[in-house]
Amino acid sequence: MKTNFLKIVLPAFAIILAVGLAFATEDNSVDRLAYYNVPGQGWQSTMVQESCDDSGAIPCKIGVYQLYEEPDFGSTQLHKD
Amino acid sequence: MSKTTTYQKLIYAIGLVLSVLFIYTATSKLVQLDTFQSQLERMPYLSPYATWLTWTVPFTELVIAGLLLIEKHRTLAIYASLFLLGFFTIYITAVLQFSDSIPCSCGGVLSMLGWQDHILFNLTFMALAFCAILLIRKQNKLKLLDQDTT
Repeated sequence: MKTNFLKIVLPAFAIILAVGLAFATEDNSVDRLAYYNVPGQGWQSTMVQESCDDSGAIPCKIGVYQLYEEPDFGSTQLHKD
Repeated sequence: MSKTTTYQKLIYAIGLVLSVLFIYTATSKLVQLDTFQSQLERMPYLSPYATWLTWTVPFTELVIAGLLLIEKHRTLAIYASLFLLGFFTIYITAVLQFSDSIPCSCGGVLSMLGWQDHILFNLTFMALAFCAILLIRKQNKLKLLDQDTT
């Protein structure tokens, strides 16, 4: 009885728990498009997480390059909290 | 309760925790396979292998999770868990040197963790796997001693 519990019931419960949790915490956040300028190569695009927007103190960068909302230095520089 | 039994129960518990982690992350990736692939395509160094990795990573996680639940293969699976978590941690650390704005390709609620938090999370589970390996070694030594005395 005890062996069955350890070998079948508990692992089955663990599987159900993990699969259930995966569906329950399904990530619905949407990534957004951002742009950065590489000298000599021009504007490049990349996807960043929604947390990168026009507010916040930390600049959103890819490598050393600042990310912008549009492929234009005059557009909003993206930041995050 | 003998020491061997205690070790066995602890190894079993750690195996169960690790298998929940792997099933959870693999399912989260498989539920949003397109998102996972697009995230991999933007990851430095990994982007050329994105299509291949989209299936390989969750499949590997599920295989390891399955082996962790089978007593006969638990030791091998714990070593594999340590290796896989180690690989993820080394990769995240390498990516951190490159940028802080690269989207996470991890599954479910883990994608909300920052990179540093994610490293800490991985290190915790690596420590658990390492503890399990130490317990397996101790258990094997005790078994050998028991055999010698009988």
